[in-house]
Parts: sequence; C-alpha cells; structure tokens
Amino acid sequence: MTGPALQRDVIVCCGAGGVGKTTVSAALGLALASRGEDVVVVTIDPARRLAAALGMHELGDDPQEVSPDAIARAELGPGGGRMWALQLDSKATFDRLVARHAPTEEARERIMANRIYQHMSGAVAGAQEYMAVERLFELREDGRFARIVLDTPPAGNALDFLDAPERMTRFIEGRALRTMLGPAAGAGRLGWRALHAGTAAAMSLLERLTGAQLLRDIADFLRGFDGMYAGVAERAKAVEALLRSDATGFLVVTAPEPEPVREAVMLGRRLSDEEYHLDGVVLNRMHALPASGLGAAAALAAALGGPADDPDGLAARACAALEDARRIALRDLDLRETVAARVAAPLTEVPAMADEPVEVAGIAGIARALAG
Amino acid sequence: MGKGGVGKSTVAAALSSAYAREGKRSLLVEVLGRNRLSRLLEDRGVGTDPVDVGGGLHAIAIDPQAATEEYLRGQLRVRALAEVLVHSKAFRGFTAAAPGLAEMVTIGKIWQLAVELRPEGDAPVWDRIVVDCPATGHGIALLETAGNVREIARSGPVHDQADRIEQVISHPAATGVALVARPDELPVGEALDAVERLDELGVPVAAAVLNATTPQRFSVQDDQALRAALADGMPVAGRTAAAAALDERVRAGREREQCARLVAAGLPVIELPRLTGARVDDEGVAELAEALAVRFRAPEAEAVSG
Repeated sequence: MTGPALQRDVIVCCGAGGVGKTTVSAALGLALASRGEDVVVVTIDPARRLAAALGMHELGDDPQEVSPDAIARAELGPGGGRMWALQLDSKATFDRLVARHAPTEEARERIMANRIYQHMSGAVAGAQEYMAVERLFELREDGRFARIVLDTPPAGNALDFLDAPERMTRFIEGRALRTMLGPAAGAGRLGWRALHAGTAAAMSLLERLTGAQLLRDIADFLRGFDGMYAGVAERAKAVEALLRSDATGFLVVTAPEPEPVREAVMLGRRLSDEEYHLDGVVLNRMHALPASGLGAAAALAAALGGPADDPDGLAARACAALEDARRIALRDLDLRETVAARVAAPLTEVPAMADEPVEVAGIAGIARALAG
Repeated sequence: MGKGGVGKSTVAAALSSAYAREGKRSLLVEVLGRNRLSRLLEDRGVGTDPVDVGGGLHAIAIDPQAATEEYLRGQLRVRALAEVLVHSKAFRGFTAAAPGLAEMVTIGKIWQLAVELRPEGDAPVWDRIVVDCPATGHGIALLETAGNVREIARSGPVHDQADRIEQVISHPAATGVALVARPDELPVGEALDAVERLDELGVPVAAAVLNATTPQRFSVQDDQALRAALADGMPVAGRTAAAAALDERVRAGREREQCARLVAAGLPVIELPRLTGARVDDEGVAELAEALAVRFRAPEAEAVSG
C-alpha cells in the first residue's frame, strides 16, 4: 500500500459485510503500532476470537490497550507504539450525546427514562452508523491517540455510513413529527383538536390502534430532543467536516465475490464524486492461480502407477481439484479487473490465507500484505 | 440468518425453490432492502406483492413504507380515513422517524403472509415462507421487534398484534431460524453466538446451513500416495495437480472441524457444496436446491438471517 493511505490521522475502513473489514482494521492497527505510532482501532462487533487474539477478552466501549506482547509477536517492525481497541456501544454513545446536548439536567433525565429511548434508540434510522462517527469524533478529542482506525458497521448498504450525520440531524430535527405528536404529550386524548382537522382525525385513528400510551411515549421521546437540535446539528457538521478533511482517508475493503465488488464499486464512485479522500481499495482473500493442468493427468497417473483414463482414479480426482482451484482463482482475477477498472484508487491484494487469520501471526500476515 | 457475505440470499433462494420443487406453495421474502434486492431477483419485477419468478417460486420484497400504508388501510375500515392518514405529511414524517416502525411493519407483513388463507378458506396461501434476513445483528433485532413492541404498547390493537406475532415467532412448529455460515472460524463462531442469543429470546433454531463447503475427494491413502509421488519427482503439471489435491484435502479437513463445532452445539447441519461458476445464477441455485433435499423440522416460516 503506497501513497497517503497509511499516513492520515484517521483511516476509515468501509465495505460490504463479511469481507474482513474488522481483520483488516486490526492488521492496520498492528502495522501502525509496530512503526511506533499510538493507534486506537474502533471495531463494531468483533468476533470474540479476533479480540482474544489481541489479548482482549472483555472488549468494551472504553479503549482497552492491546498487550505489547501481541504487538511484539506480530514481528512487523521496531515497535514502540501503543495500540488500543474498543467495541462500539451505540447505546452508550447515544447516552453521552444526549448528556452533552440536553439543555437541562431534567431534559436529559427525561430522555433517559423514556421507554422508547431505552428499548428502541438502536432502531432510530442510521443511529449505529452515526454513533460510529460520533465515537470517532470523541476519540479525536481524547488526545491519547495519534491515529484512529475505524471499522464501519455492517449496514445493509455500505453507503448508509456517509449519510448518517445528515439522517441523524434530520431525525433530531423531526419537525413534522413533533408538530403532529406535540399535543399528545401535554393534553391527552383530546389534544388532537389543536391540529389541522385532517391530521387530528388521522391521529385519533392512530391513537386507537396503538393505545394512547404508546403515542404519548413516542411524543415524549421526540420532544425530549427539543433544544438539542442546534448542538447536534453543529456536531454532525463537525463530524462531516472531519470525514472530508485531509486528516481522514478511506479504504474500501472488498473480497472477490460479485456482491461485495458491486458495493465496493458504488462506494468508490460515491467517495470520489463527493471528494472524500479515497486512498485505496483492499481486495481481501485472493486465491492464487495454480499453473495449468495440461498433461497433469498423464504425468500424475504415471507417477502413481494407475491408469490415466480412470475417471474415478486418484489422478483424475486430483486434476478435478486443480481445475476447481484454477476456476476459483480465475474468477477472482476477473473480479479484480472489475475493481481495478472501476474504483479510482490504488489496489492492494491480500492473499487468501491457508488458515483463517484469527491469531496474531495471521493478522500480521495481512498487515504485511497491506503495508509491505 | 448469518454473518455478512456467507451467502444468505443464495441459500434462501435455494431453500425456497427446494420447497417449490416438492409442490409446496413457497414464498421467498426479502426485507428492509432499501433497493438492495439480491442480484438473483433483480430485474424480475419483484416488488411489494408476491410475483412468480419462475420455477414455481414466488418472491416479494417488503418495503416498510408501503407495508405501513397497507396495514393502515386494513385496520381502518373507513377507507377515506385511512387515505387521510396515509397522505398526511405529518404521518409521513412519523413513519420516517418512529424508531423500530420499519422493523415492526416488516415482521407484521411477514406474519400476515404466513397466516393468510386462500379464498376457499381451507388452507394457507403459502405453505412455506423463507425470509432472507439482514446480517446477524440486524436479523436478531428484527425478530426481537414484536416482543419489544408488545412491551412498549401496553394495550390496543398494536399490542395484541405484536403479541400474536411474538407467539408465531417463538413457536417451533411455525418458525425456525436457519443459521447460515461459511465453514470458517469466524462465521461459525458468529453462528454459535447467534444460537445463544436466539435461545435467550426463545426463537427456535431449526438448523445450521454450512454453505460453500469444499468437496471431500481424498482419503488418507490418497494423501499418502500423492505425497509419495511428489517425493519421487514427476513432471511439473503432475506436481501442480498433486499440490492442488493436497491443498484441497487440508481445506476440507479444516472445514470438518468447523462442521463439528456446529454439530457439538446440537444443531442439525445441512451442508451445501461450493459453487465454482463465474457467478451465482439460476443454475447455481438449482444445484443448491437439489442439495437441500434434507429438510427442517416442520417449519411454516423460516428465517434465513445472517
């Protein structure tokens, strides 16, 4: 990986689910710490095994330091840097956001005590993606970490991530909704009269379906954000500015599978079009192309001492295995061409490892492929 | 259900089409798609109503906004009132912002499809419904929704409906989650975590589907013979084939270990072969559907989530 990819303060790894983003993020963390940099890796939902490989069993919302021993075992460089990792806790981040922006202590407690907030805040559209960038901002302010690697949530669509600040602002703003629900919280069942007659009729109907309590809870929940709008909007703008600044670079991570490649192409296009810094694309788990099997059946059959034309014989089965390996590798190469042609960023290949990289040595292998 | 990238959509399509082949009226459901219909169903006009996509298979994509409107039209007998609500700007704002609403109407729509009877009233419209869930975390959140809503809406029709949905989701004769994994350490680990989580929620797990498994073509004797031949030396093409065979055997052996972890958790495991075609197409799905001859325990709706 060349160019600015590893130089920026903030490296955002994005891409479809299941392509190895978390492993790539951990590998980048190890590579940077081995170069003497202090780095924190923000993961979303790391496999226990991956966290354990880094010597961490209870990964939580607070940055936890990776044992220097794990960094040394990676044998990637002189070391001297420290590495932390944390697992994003959307609810805890949401709580802090509320604490920071609620105009009064009372307003804060009212939101926290709301049943909708307690049960459903995770279901606010775009909340998890927004909380990831919000957490990024907090870590920048923390001061301990020169470098931050952010693993993004496995959203249905990798592009959701870029829209999160705006969606969150819109949610907090939620004027239409509050206009509609406003009276429910204060005036009870008959409060709908204060609204436009049509809307009032509609709301009475809705209330009949959900029960008055639910609507009142929702209204309370949304009204709780009154007075927070300016603060959150400003914060969202700052988060967005950070993502667009020279301090932040994006890596699109993908694997040689049709669906992730399609998402990588869309994501790459969008990042370039909107002038984010797209520093690279990582093609993970590429299968090596074995040499052609021309003449293999005869050569192998001769060496094994069996007939060359037995379709169930060992030589024929071995050739079938070779044929499959070649087909898979050729399919990977096709997809690599697609990525190279359609994503305007330097491409780094990471070979498929014989062992899935769940140990320090395996993660270090990926780090070598990335940083070499 | 399963981790991202394990082939949930493909497995869901194959499962649904396996049911269709044995004469069941089978419906494949895509959820919370936001225009991200799987490649397999794209360009086949799959929308918010069930469409015949060929091979006896029907498919539907649930759009939360459309499902919300449909729900209201069904609930509010006076059509004019429903129209007022659906067209009110405030209501649109509400549906966009109300947390969990999209999940609730989605699960509600699936439930409605599952209980819908034929006009003659003697049998359900759909014998089997296969739901292609979002990745594990989101998939579980989807299944949790009805229970959450039942708690939050303490009374009224929505509470009662959430309660009925919750009963169907937690009934092993009605619902079974098929956990999909690739035969690798991390996806299998995530599937096992999901089993724990689903057990806590009281959602029955019907089976694990181990997707994209490597063929087991070589025995211990084959292994020894190949190694001996390599040691003796032979032309390069022969060596390449022998090495490919040995690699494949190692890979298949590791996959056995992953399969054993699922079996040890008490899950019936259904294995599907790895496809080597350039892309997953109808032929690939047909191949997998064939392999799915083994069936889950009497499920009416299955949640292939991941």
